[in-house]
Parts: sequence; C-alpha cells; structure tokens
Amino acid sequence: MAGRIAQHPILGCQNENKKIVTFHYDGKEMKGFEGEPIAAALKANGVMVHRYTLKQHKPRGIFCAIGRCTDCVMVVDGEPNVRTCMTPLAEGMDVRTQYGVSDKPFDQQ
Amino acid sequence: MKIERFDLIVVGAGPSGLSAAIEAAKHGMKVVVFDENARPGGQLFKQIHKFFGSKEHKAKIRGFHIGEQLLKEADDAGVKVELNATVAGLYQDREVVVRMGDEVHHFKGDAIIIATGAAENMVLFDGWTLPGVMGAGAAQTLMNLYGVKPGERILMLGSGNVGLVVSYQLLQAGCQVVALVDAAPKIGGYGVHAAKVARTGVPFYLSHTIKKAEGTDHVTGVTIAEVDNHFQFIPGTDKHFDVDTICVAVGLSPMSQLLKMAGCKMEDNPKRGGQVPIIGEYGETSVPGIFSAGDVSGIEEASSAMIEGRMSGAVAAEYLGYITKEEKEEILAKLKASLGSLREGMFAPKNRGKDIKETEEGIPISTNLLHKGYVLDSEIERFPGVTHKKGVHPVIECTQNIPCNPCQDACTRHCIKIGSHITALPAVDETADCINCGMCVASCPGQAIFLVNEDAGDRKAEITLPYEFLPLPETGMKGTALGRDGQPLCDAEVTRVRSSKAFDGTNLLTISVPAEFAMKARFFKAAAQA
Repeated sequence: MAGRIAQHPILGCQNENKKIVTFHYDGKEMKGFEGEPIAAALKANGVMVHRYTLKQHKPRGIFCAIGRCTDCVMVVDGEPNVRTCMTPLAEGMDVRTQYGVSDKPFDQQ
Repeated sequence: MKIERFDLIVVGAGPSGLSAAIEAAKHGMKVVVFDENARPGGQLFKQIHKFFGSKEHKAKIRGFHIGEQLLKEADDAGVKVELNATVAGLYQDREVVVRMGDEVHHFKGDAIIIATGAAENMVLFDGWTLPGVMGAGAAQTLMNLYGVKPGERILMLGSGNVGLVVSYQLLQAGCQVVALVDAAPKIGGYGVHAAKVARTGVPFYLSHTIKKAEGTDHVTGVTIAEVDNHFQFIPGTDKHFDVDTICVAVGLSPMSQLLKMAGCKMEDNPKRGGQVPIIGEYGETSVPGIFSAGDVSGIEEASSAMIEGRMSGAVAAEYLGYITKEEKEEILAKLKASLGSLREGMFAPKNRGKDIKETEEGIPISTNLLHKGYVLDSEIERFPGVTHKKGVHPVIECTQNIPCNPCQDACTRHCIKIGSHITALPAVDETADCINCGMCVASCPGQAIFLVNEDAGDRKAEITLPYEFLPLPETGMKGTALGRDGQPLCDAEVTRVRSSKAFDGTNLLTISVPAEFAMKARFFKAAAQA
C-alpha cells in the first residue's frame, strides 16, 4: 500500500500479521489495517483533507494525531465529529469528509 | 451512586505514571492507573532511539523497549491500568470522575498522582492550519506506531531534541527532510542529535522561521526567511521549498488542568514550560494527598519522568503509612542521586537560556555545531575523544557535556574514560588497545563514535560508522563518503557490514576511503543514492 513503510530499519515490518479490511472514504473503496486509527489508513491512502470548517470552510487534516486538537474529525458511519486519529478502523466503515458538522458539501446543505 | 475506592489513583499511564504506580504497588498499595488512550506507555512507544544517561537510567536502550519493560514491571507489581478512561474531573476529597465509553464512573483515591504529561506547542504562520502542517509528535505517531509515512518531502521547524530526533526518524522512515529550521540563533537540542542529521545532508537554517505554508487544500510548499535579533523577517532572505508536509517541534506545555481544578497552587513558570503546580522536591502539591510527576510539573524528558514517578509513588506510600519515614528516605536518597546526575551538564534545567561557551573541561564549544549542526574539521581535534594512533582506534565526536556514559562501559578494553561524573566528555586512552569490537559505536545513543584506521594500507583509511537506515549497504558496494556537513567528499567502498543482536538495530558499516579523508568522512551514500 502506498504511504506505508514497508520495512523499517529499527521496527522491521510494522504491520505484519494485521488483518486488511475494506472501508469507504466518500464512497470510494479503500483498504487499511483493522484496528489502526482511521486517520492512519487515510494517510496511507493519500487523503489529506478530513474536514472543512463550519464558518470559513477552511480545510483541516491530521494535526496532533493523539486526540487533542479535533482537527481530524470526520463523519464515521453517519456520526459527525468522530476523532479519526483515536478511532480504530473496522471492516466496512463508512468514512466521510465533514463539512461543518455534516457530510453534505456546503452547497447542498 | 457507587464509588470505588483505591489507595492510589494515578492519572496517566506514561513513563512517570506507570513508574509511580509500580513503586506504590510494590509497597502493597491498591493502585489504579487511568489513561485516555487505547494503549499504555504514553509517548514511550514512539521513541525508537537509544536513550541517554547511565545504566541506572536504562541508557542505550531504545525508548519503546523501555516501555515494554515498564509495562511488564507494572503487570508483575499488580498495577491495574484502565485504558480508554478519560479523567474528566478531580474534586474535593480526592474524588475522581472518569469517562469510560459512554458512562461516567466515580472513584475515590486516598492519594492521587497526576502524571498527565504535556501537549505540543504550535506557532502561528500564514497557512498553519492547512492539512500537511502537523506536530512533530503527530509525525512520530504515524510512522513509529502505525508504519505510515507522514509525508514524502518534509520541512522541520524546531531544533530542540524533539525536532532533531524526529527529523532523524523521518529519514529512517524513508522520508526526505529538506531543511531543519529554527528561529533561534542556536540549535536547541544535543549537538550529537544534530550531527547525525547533518551528516546525511539535511541543511540547517538557524535564525530562520516559516513565513508561509503554501497550498489551497493542503501543503504544497513552504517559504522560510531569516529573522533578526527581534525575530522580525529580514527582507530579501526568502527561501522556498517544495514540500508536502511541515512538522512543527516548538516545545511542549504541561497538561496541568486537573491539578488546577483540584485547587493546587499553580504558577506560570516559563522555565518549566508554562502553567505548573507549585510542588515540593518529590511532587507534593499544595493539596495534601495530591502529587504530580513527570512533564505535567515541568517539561523534561522520559528518563527523569520515570524517576519523578518513583519518587512520588514512594512519598504517597509513606503518606498513607505503607512504608515508614526511614524507608521512604532511603528510597528517595537513591532516586535523588540518580535524578541529580541526569540534571547535570550544559542542557540541565538550571542552565536553560544560558549562553555556554566552554565545556566543563574548558574546551571552547564548536560554534559551527550550534549554527549548522556539525563540528568543523578544524574544530574536532580539540576534543578529548579525538586522538590518533596506529591501527584501529575509537574517535568520539562527543563535544558537549550531556549526562551519558554507555561508551565507557561498552569498551571492555578500557579505551574510553568518562569517570564517575557522567557529563564529562569521553576521553580516549591511547595506551589501551582497541580490538575493533564495535560495541562503543553501537552503544552511543548520539551515534558519535567511529572506529578509524588511519592507515589501512594502500594509502587507504577505514572508517566504521553507525548506520540505521535501509537499504543496508553490502560489502563491496561502491558509493560516496560524506563529510560531517553531509557534502560529498570522495569515493568510498564498503569493506564490512556488521549487524548483531548486541548492537540493537545499529549496523556497523566499514568504508574504505583515501587516507587523507580518515578524519573527515563520516557517512556513506551508495552510488545509486548519491
């Protein structure tokens, strides 16, 4: 998978024996490892933008990666404001870009 | 409402919290540790470099291995660690409110230790909110915990130890680091950490900071510029880099909100990183029964956090009568000596902000090291680890007083002398015979030791250097030797590659170069990479 470290000089193969799961990002099928943060799977798939802010519609992505900043929240399985850096990826998850607090782009809201 | 009682409640399962819990549980206390994360260990599992210090501080062991040891110790001591458990409040009479899943639980601790650590600081620049701008800690989390590259081309802002160490780790993960930038006029972290980044060819820009992160939806480039003494941009000094990621490592702030909430007396202390509790020597806050340990009471690093944790655990044990005052004093005396030795040297908390021009030995510090990240060829000879003799001998490019001494123990032939004062610069004893075992090279957390044979015959010199990248070059491979500055020097051929369990991930690469580069060549790039 692109964006993954295939072999690390100190950590070896970091995702060995992990189960590959399929999930959806804005309707597109993607693969990731079960249990890794959703944000890690998105990063490995090259996704940069997680959400657009409510007032100024500015893009946000992974910023702290440890659940503090809330920049990486997305709509997951219909629920908005899910911290993707803290939420484990599961088979069949539906992950969507968050516009304000909705998964609908602003012009459709 | 049911309230469960514990002798001790620890908030935070990082290095200090776990250490506190282990110490308390060892004395028979009923202990629980709450942590909001899914995994225990705090930031330890992201630390893949070898730690500094001496044996008692677990020096030369990689951080994540220390984390594994700590978890096992906690398990053996019977410490209960509750994960995904966010402590939301600390109220009167030491009542602790914890959110676990969708439920809120109440607990009561006869003693409380707050070990919540710290959060990354940020600096504001044009475009700082763009996706692709992230904390250095975020990058570390992605690559070292989850095996995902934070980006391909990265600029690092911040030359403290976090910025330096994470830059090196980005290189290890296969990312390109285009520049290391800091608004300060001098590199903030250890010179040896800077040197191991600089010799791979990463340029340092001190007295520079970010002017703008470019891109509409995510980072596509960055412009930096030089700043004057008042941190104002100097016109005409702009430099642009094409990058997809900008990492920011500009310090940490204590996450001390719970202590404030509990009514502990606080102070704003820039030397300790911001809002911190006013504490006694062993973490006693102004509220009886509430203690703090680790970064939450002053930013340091994991080694000292673990000792502070032990201290507060012992103090809590005595507070509740599990050990006598004499027993406590005995434990604390040992820990105090251990912590004291870590707080020595030019990077000690007491020396923060001081302009140190000489080592403890009276040797002028390399100014180039502070500005560019490497010691000049003309400066290196003045340090006691750099000597010359026939045959293979260690060359120790350790030029600042930092608390670290594994090299002394690593050498069974006593070639390396630091003495009992662990911040002293290592000196090479020219009368002792080096057997070329390589243990000193592998044991140096700063990767500052080289084995050099200045005359290997045929007007060649051989240099053995630490190598922690992939792909690992093979014997016979040809390439280019780089200087300390990361610039190409001469042709080089790999004559030996050593890997061993005892080297713990550090490979020893021996390269052959023309004899005149014996004291200059310090890194190798294979032909295809050069």
